[in-house]
Order: sequence, then structure tokens, then C-alpha cells
Amino acid sequence: MTRVIMPETLESLWDAMTAAPEARLFCGGTDLLVRHRREGGGSLIGIDRIAALRGIRYQDGDVVIGAATRFSDILEDPLIRAHLPVLARGVAALASPTIRAMASIGGNIVTASPAADSLPALTVLSARLDLASPNAHRTVALREFITGSHATGLRPGEIVTAVRIALAPRPALHHAEKVGQRRMLSGTLVSLAAVIAMDDDGRIEQASLAFGNLGPTVLVSVEAEAELIGRRLDRDALAAAGVAVRRAARPQDDVRASAAYRLRLAGNLLFRLLDPKIPIVAEKYKGRETAE
Amino acid sequence: MTRLSLPIFEEVPEIGRAQPRRDATPKALGIEYFAGDAYPANLLWAGVRRAGVPHARLASIDTASALAIPGVVAVLTHADVKGSNRFGVVRRDQPVLVEAIVRHAGDPLALVLAETPEALRRGIALIEPVLEPLPGVFDAEDALAADAVLLYPDEGTNLLLDGEIVVGDAAGAFDACAAVVEACIETPWQDHAALETPVGVAVVEPDGRLVMTVSTQTPFRDRGEIAEALGLPEEGIRVIAPFLGGGFGGKDGITIQCLLGLAALHAAGRPVRMELSREESVSAGVKRHRTRLYYRLGAAADGALQALDARIYFDTGPYDHLGGAVMMLGLEHAGGPYRIPHVRLRAWSVRTNNPVAGAFRGFGVTQVTAAIEQMIDRLALALGKCPLEMRRHNAVRRGDRNAVGTTVLGPAGLVDCLDRLAAHPWWISRESWIAAAGLFKRRGIGIAALHHGTGYGPIIPDSAGAKIELTGGGRFRIYCGVADMGQGNSSTFLQIAGAILGQPMEAFDLLLPDTDRTLPSGSASASRTTSTFGIALTTAATVLRERLLCRAADAMMVPSADEFVLLPGSVRHLSSGRDFPLGVLAQRLPLDDRVAVAYHRMPGSRERPDAPPAMRLHGFPHRVFGYGAHLARVEVDELTGQVAVLDYLAVNESGAVLNPQLYEQQLQGAVAQGLGLAIWEDFKVERGLARTRDFDSYAIPTALDLPDLATQAISLYDENGPFGMKGVGEIAVNGPAVANAVAVAIKRRIDRFPLTPERVLAALDRPSEMP
Amino acid sequence: MSSLSFTLNGKPVSVDVADDRRLIDLLRQDLGLIGSKEGCGIGNCGACTVLVDGAPRAACLTLAAQIAGRHVVTIEGAATSPLLRLLTESFATHGAVQCGYCTPGMIMAAAALLVRTPSPSRHEIRDGMSGNLCRCTGYHRIVDAIEAAAGRLFAETAK
Repeated sequence: MTRVIMPETLESLWDAMTAAPEARLFCGGTDLLVRHRREGGGSLIGIDRIAALRGIRYQDGDVVIGAATRFSDILEDPLIRAHLPVLARGVAALASPTIRAMASIGGNIVTASPAADSLPALTVLSARLDLASPNAHRTVALREFITGSHATGLRPGEIVTAVRIALAPRPALHHAEKVGQRRMLSGTLVSLAAVIAMDDDGRIEQASLAFGNLGPTVLVSVEAEAELIGRRLDRDALAAAGVAVRRAARPQDDVRASAAYRLRLAGNLLFRLLDPKIPIVAEKYKGRETAE
Repeated sequence: MTRLSLPIFEEVPEIGRAQPRRDATPKALGIEYFAGDAYPANLLWAGVRRAGVPHARLASIDTASALAIPGVVAVLTHADVKGSNRFGVVRRDQPVLVEAIVRHAGDPLALVLAETPEALRRGIALIEPVLEPLPGVFDAEDALAADAVLLYPDEGTNLLLDGEIVVGDAAGAFDACAAVVEACIETPWQDHAALETPVGVAVVEPDGRLVMTVSTQTPFRDRGEIAEALGLPEEGIRVIAPFLGGGFGGKDGITIQCLLGLAALHAAGRPVRMELSREESVSAGVKRHRTRLYYRLGAAADGALQALDARIYFDTGPYDHLGGAVMMLGLEHAGGPYRIPHVRLRAWSVRTNNPVAGAFRGFGVTQVTAAIEQMIDRLALALGKCPLEMRRHNAVRRGDRNAVGTTVLGPAGLVDCLDRLAAHPWWISRESWIAAAGLFKRRGIGIAALHHGTGYGPIIPDSAGAKIELTGGGRFRIYCGVADMGQGNSSTFLQIAGAILGQPMEAFDLLLPDTDRTLPSGSASASRTTSTFGIALTTAATVLRERLLCRAADAMMVPSADEFVLLPGSVRHLSSGRDFPLGVLAQRLPLDDRVAVAYHRMPGSRERPDAPPAMRLHGFPHRVFGYGAHLARVEVDELTGQVAVLDYLAVNESGAVLNPQLYEQQLQGAVAQGLGLAIWEDFKVERGLARTRDFDSYAIPTALDLPDLATQAISLYDENGPFGMKGVGEIAVNGPAVANAVAVAIKRRIDRFPLTPERVLAALDRPSEMP
Repeated sequence: MSSLSFTLNGKPVSVDVADDRRLIDLLRQDLGLIGSKEGCGIGNCGACTVLVDGAPRAACLTLAAQIAGRHVVTIEGAATSPLLRLLTESFATHGAVQCGYCTPGMIMAAAALLVRTPSPSRHEIRDGMSGNLCRCTGYHRIVDAIEAAAGRLFAETAK
């Protein structure tokens, strides 16, 4: 039998982790328990009941999402829908509605699958992570935290407590698209998240592009982004960016799709930004307090 | 919840009325017991260790480590099987537990019994087989090569069955054709993906009988196979078949039954439960045959089909498992529902070390339809003809000889179906609809014509025995010998009996198959259960009605039963207006008077085409055919290659429609499976090992993938079926309407199912094949 | 083994059970509630959908320890839940049930959907039900059934 401990406060969490350092942490259980079914394993600590780790609030210019917050709550949050639509769009096709009601953003980050649904959007939003251990706190950039396929910089005895995303002072175009084997209940073959800010003439001032499952971690191509700066958002610009992305991509062959197909998607997905009906303009956040 | 039943079940049902199924509410409430829902006390858990390699010699198997696990009660091998250790519907060639040779990766090597699922898992993991790999053969055509590795060296060949149908002189006729098109089309394995995997509970009772409750489409046939395999007398086995959580052919025959029976024999009277995990079911269970179809089709300038040459290879895996019958049905349907004066059709069902292929709704017809319907479109394009007109021109009508030379005997509503498509706004507006495709989207509309012969053919008896009883308490009980795997035949039987006896469905109990209590009635397959059992039941119910009216007449000393009628709960003497409660009548009658039994054997074809006995045995020719014409509107995304089916219309003629709601259910469900085969379901096997392993990697369509599925019925009366119906269970499983639509959308043909985004994108790279 | 207490279909329940007993096994084997079905074991089919504190969960990926003190609703709760009863009737009358194995999970997911989105469009219904697989129906009649139930719910609450 596997022991399962469900602490209700951070203090009791630290106690539990100290008492059983080999115990694996889980929140929703949608990744860990699937592995547990296949491989078995030792004791488990569920962090799902710790109120301090849940919730979405506004603090000092950031949207702060507790690590144990479920994706269903993220999708329904008015702050996120209005100002961070790339995140809502990026996770709208994560697994299924029921799994989204179970799975936590912290879990998705810490599992760090190359195909993780939330990571491309969090990357283009320059998300930071609050990390805590019994006696220490630190904040790191998400991009630095994920070190490889299923690998993170999480230290022993440490947990992710929250995700911080700065609300941009200007409106921008937000877009996310996931390509799977089917419309839902599908792992990502390739995904794209994009935030693009343009000046009043329609020229691109800032472009953040992030691709899922084109390498061991989220793919960011500075060269691709550079192709867009100063240009209009048009086919030629996106084609040039696509060439740069394909150069940087390291897709895999697997049972779901070939590397060659994934490479094609990498360039093709950028053209979706031309569809006037699909990318969405994030509302400008004017600095007023909003309800949680 | 006090009300289990909908008010409609208190009314007398009518044939032709769209009424809800009676099993719907208990199933929706979760109170209907499926085979795996009972957990008796003192239960043991059974599971198998499978080979994991596709072709090998089993040199030895060490079970000691597994036995040492606390909670493991027994580990059984072939040495513990007292009977033949072989099962199979047509050929008894599949081992319960492997003796010496592993022939597919899912072959079971040892059976473990344990006190808990955890101990079972651990026990299975510790079994140590010594397997010496043998070279394997993984392609049907390769397996026929002279130097191919042989699965059964004594047989000297990997061929299970072949067949040939020749009419006229195809080779000569091609020369006179105005256009000839040629292609090699491939269809993949398909997993049944029933939500309920094979599961059952078995126990050897104190009197020594083996009693098994199991999810099976074939309870009576199973009994015979279990008996032979395990060395038991058939009468010593009782098989009970509750509602299945889906079957679709995946439970047509033995899945776990022999293993479960074997486990029960070694359980010292304790009940044993066995359930295939989803991973086991996907990777080791039966599949639809993968096929490769070489087609050459020619027509005259006016569009009349002239010549067809087809060579079709069915990869049947290592064991027969209906692989000959599937091939034969495919071969019979290979020319489509058309008149073609010259055909040469050949098919081979070939053994390989790939997964076992067997029955799957459509049964070979799905595969050949994928081919012929795409060839018709190619030919129409070559001749500059409208694809719908081309089909209409060549469609069989009653009295024609079809493409394999069989006479079309009964109603054949294909033209009616095509006319419905032609008159439909989606067809009429096709050009403007296609032109309205949005950014990065390409649209297409495609159609397919269908036919499907029901039943088992001229040799294997398609028969059923129905028993109906007026119980002492005044209720009616139907003893149903055919399994209901979700197609709702049990509800149709209630409807038939209710209409004949003038009773509401509430007044009936229906006993699902139980080899001790119901009569042998054949398999739930071949689109035949409602027809064959339905006629037997019609006869039995009619006999019982007449008898009850006669007995009522006797009781009232009235000379003629004509003056009486059955009403809900009573018999009414029409002249006097007197009502005689059925409960009272029942009390006056001995059991034999209250029971009626009737058999029906569906007649097979009387035609004797020039074909070897093996072909006849495996089903050629069939006699009763359903027809259909389907239309799909698709949109292809140029950036990703994804195919979206925006609309689908299925028009079918399957005789009279007894219950429009059930008829529609069959069409919609079958269409969904056909679309799955055409677009999403990519079952991947690499050198005999299933790489698609579970519901994560095997993608059946979700509610977001499928559109609304419009259906229409052309209702024509066929005298062979009860109240004029024909079977409709399988005909709608097809993918070529979508394939034809995609071809129109991207102006290129893709000759492999499924039409994955990757294949579509790759096709877009090629030069356009159409104007 | 620990003592686990929770509320099940409105009633308090206490059982001795291992921390890591899967909820699907606890329901089916320990409590005899066989309405929830296991179709895949990895949260990919929806047949085991139940509600925990009002939110849908896959019971195959839920451990006993996780539901301590929580409110669990299963399809057996239809006896006392007007919403579940409404959905059950709607499924039955609209031809949305064939083999029935996916149906309890569908109804639980539909209940969660209607609480979240009381007047869903057909697309919202398909999206909300996209985690529940059905192999028999092609989903069309399931969407109809949920749409009709939503309509009746609206009519009831609008009174």
C-alpha cells in the first residue's frame, strides 16, 4: 500500500516532506497517477488542499496564479481572459474538461513535458515562478526553470508556489494553437503561442513566439522574432520567421507523428496569425484593481 | 428513484413508431449490471502474461517466482489445460495458453490467479518465459512469397483462404473501355474500442458445472469452444451474456472465456474475475483486418462500368478467427452495388505475425467499399462525368445481376438513396459551398454508394429459437437467445412482442441470453439478430396469442376465438364486452399452454455461382442486401492538414423501419466508426508489435471531432425480415465519402486510410491531379 | 488502512480503506456502486466521471485520501438529484443511450457542464463533453439530450 498524505497548510507540507524526503508530490494527480498505475511507486504527498497555493489574484502589476490552481479556474478567470488570453487559449485544449478541472498549473510546469500545454503561453508571457522551501523563497524565470525534457531546476525540499505574469501596459495580439491527433484528449504534436505588439502604423514592435514539442523544452527562436520586428504582420514576414524556426527546431519522430511533419507545422502555424478571426487582442490593463 | 420507466412503456408499442429503448433508463442510472459489475465474495482475480514478441519458440517458462508472491494462488500453463487447448470459430487453431510456438505478441503464456489485483500484477510481472525469437512475417503479400517464413510449417503456406470470382472476361474488356483507372489502396487495422473491455466472472458450482457471466456476442457458440478447449462436456458449462458495453465484433467469439474457465477450474470453487485492461485490449485484442487492395476499373464513354480487376490482401494475423469469412464477404462486395459485366476479383486471407484480425462491424465490406467507391470517383473524373450520376447509372435495381453475378432479388433502394442525395441542398449547392471556404481552408464534398449482405451465407445456418411465456402472474417473458451489445435488439423484440400481443412493454420481462434458459440463436453479428430472432419471436408470439384467445374462448364456452382480442392485461370478448384478466387466465392454464416456442432459419441464397465449396462455406453468396448512399462535406486546413467533417448525411435503405430511433442509432454509430477509420484511427504496428497501446495513443473521435450526423431512411418492404425489415447494423461503417470529399478539396488523392494530417500535408506537396 | 470519511450522494460515509485505493475501486467494489465504469484507467475516456465538491473528476485518477471530507456525487445520486434525473430522462427519450457503458459518465459530465454553463450552445455542449468518449452513438443524440435538458432546466428555473 502507498501512503498518501494530504497536508492542509504549508507548514504541515514541510513537515511531511521532511519526514518522507523520497515521497513524490502531486496536485491534481493527472500525470503522476497515470505513471503510478504503470510503474507503482512509494509514498505520495498531495498538495491539493493547501489554500495558500490556490487562487488567482492581482498583485503589484502581476497576475499571480497559485500553483495548485486548476486549469478550469484559469480558463474562467476574467482577469486572465481579458488580459492574458494567450494563456486561456493555450490551455483550452489541454486533455479534456474533466482533466482541466483536476489538473494544476504547477503540476503541468513541474512535469515539464516537452508537449506541456501551458508552457508555450507562459513562455511568451515571460512568466516567473515563485519557489519555496521551509526556509527560503526565490523567484525564477520560467524559461530558466525548465532545463530539459521532464527536467527542472527544482531543488530538493522545494515546491513551486505560484506563477507570476506581468500585465502588459499596452494591448497586444494574442494567439495560441495546438495541433493534436484530434480536437480534444490529445497530446500536443506541435503548438504555438504568440504575443505580438504593434505600433500605431501596424508595424511590429515586439514579438514573442514559443513552440511546444519542437524540442526538449519550449522552443524560442530569437532569430524568428527578429524577422518580425519593424515589419507588418504579413505573409512574407511570417515566412521568414518560419524559416528561422525550422532551423532551430528539433522535433521527434514518435508513434503520433513524424519529425518531418512537425517541422512543417512549425513554419505553417505562424501563418494563422494572418487570419483576422483567430488571434485576439488582449484588453489594455489600465492599472485598476480588479476582482479576483 | 422510484420511477424507472418512461410513460411510453405503459402504452402498447407499435411497429414503426420511434420509441425509446427500455434498457436506456437503467443503463443511464447505472443500475444495469454488465458482466464486470458483480464482485462476489471470496473473489479471485485472473490475468495472463503475454508473449511480447511476435514469433518465437517458448523454450520454457518459470513460474516459481510468480508463485512465491504472497497472494498469488496459482500459475497455470498449457500443461494445465486438459482439453484440446485450441479454440476458434471456423478452425480451432488458437491456443488458450501457448505450448511451444508464439505466433503474435499478444499470445498468452501463463495464467495467474491471485487474491488481489495488486498481487496479480506482481505475479504476472515475475513470470519468466524463455523465448527464442523466430524470424517473423509482417505483411500479407510478403507472407505469400515462396521464401516467406511460415507460421505453420506443416501447412507449407501462410495462406488461410483465397477466393476468386470471375464473370465475363475482364482482361479483354479493358481494351474496349473509354477510360481505365488504377490504384493501390490501403486500409489500416482498427481497434473496436468498446468502452467495456472483455470481462467476466466464472465459478465452478458445487454440482461441478462451470458457470460464466461474460461480455460476449456468442454465448452458445462459446460454450462449445470452451468445452473442447478445456476438456469439459458442453452440458457442464453455462454461459450467461448480459448487455455488453459495446462489441462491434470484438467480442464475436472467444476473448477471455477459455482463460476464465480454466481459472475457475483451478479456483477450488471460488469465483474468478478476469478483465482485460485497456492496454491489453488495444495491443493484444482482435482487430479489423488491414488490407491492401489493387483495383483496376474501366468504363465506356457513357459511364457504364465495363470491367473490374481487383486483388485484395487481408492480413489476418496468426489465427483464423473468422479471417476467411471476412475475406469472403469482402470479395463478394468488392465490385460495389453496381452492374459490371466483366470482373475478375481475387482475395487472399493471409497469416502473419501481426495482431489477430477478425470480426469488426463491416466485416470486409468496409475495406472493399473504401476501394471501389474511390475508384468510381476517379473514373468519373476521367470521363468528365458527375460522380453521383455515374453511380446512378450503374446502380443495381431489383432483377439485375450485381457485379459478382448474383441476382438482386428483393427491394434494392440504392437509386432511391442516390436520388435523395441529388435532391439535397448540400449536393445542389456544392459548388458555391466549396467556393466559400475561408482563409487556409479547402472544402470538398464527396459521396459513396453502399451495399451489405446480411446473414452467414448459404451453408452456415442462420437460425434462432424464440420462446415466450405468459407467467403465472400474468406477465410475459421473452427468452432471448441473441446478445444485445448495444444495438437495442432487445428493445425491438419487446416492441414486436408487444405489438403482436397487444401489451405494453412494461408487461414484459426479457431474459438476456443464458445457455440454460434461452434457446440457441446464433451470434450477434452479420446484421442478422433482429431479423432472424425477430421472425422466430413473431411466430412464437403469434402462436401464443392465438392459444390464449382459444383458451379464453374455451373458458367462456364461446366457439370461436375470433370474438376475442388481447388488450393490455386482459382478454376481451368483443361481443359481450367482458374482460378476462390475463393473470386469471394464466392461473387456469398449465405451463405448456402458456409457452410458445418457434424456430426460424433464414433461407440462404439458392444461387450456385461457379465457386469452390470453401467459398460457399465462408458465405458466398448472400441473399438479402441493404443499400445506402452517403455524403460528406469536409474542410481541410492547409496549414496543418487536418480534416474536419462539417456535415454528413447517411441515406440508407434497409427494408422497413421498425423503430426510427433505433434505426438512426445504428446509422449514426456506424458512421462514426467509419469516420474514425477514415480520419483518426491510426493503429500502428511495427514488426508485429503494437505501438498504439491505449486510449492515449489510439484516437477515436470525440464529441468535438464529429459533426451532427443527418440520417434518412428509405423504407421498403422486404419479405424476408420481420415486418419487412433488413439488418442495418453494419452497412453504414464506411469512409470513402470522406476520402472522395478530401480529394475534391485538395485536388489530390490519398490512397491510405486514415487521412491523417501528415498524409494530407504531404499530398498537398504533390502536383494537383484535378482541374 | 485508514478510516476515510466523506459525503456520498448526500449521505455521510465512513470506510476503512487504503490511502491509495482508487476512488473507482472504492465505489464499485467496496461500496457496490457499479454505475461508474472504468474504460481506460488513465483519465482518457470519461466513463468514470464523478463529481467531487461539484467539480468533475476521473475516479480512476483519484485516490481515497483525496476525497476525505469532500462531497462526492455519483450517478447513483440521481435518486435524489433533480438535475441528474432530468439528464437521465433526457438521455433515455432522445435515443442517446445504446450500449450504455459511457452513459453514467456522460451524465455526470453533462451535469457539471450545465452547472457551469446553464444555456450552452451545441458547440459548447460538444466542447464540454469532449472528454467523454462514446463508441456507439456518434454523439449527435447525446448533444440533443443535453440541449433539451438545458432547455427544460431553463424553463424550470425561469418560472
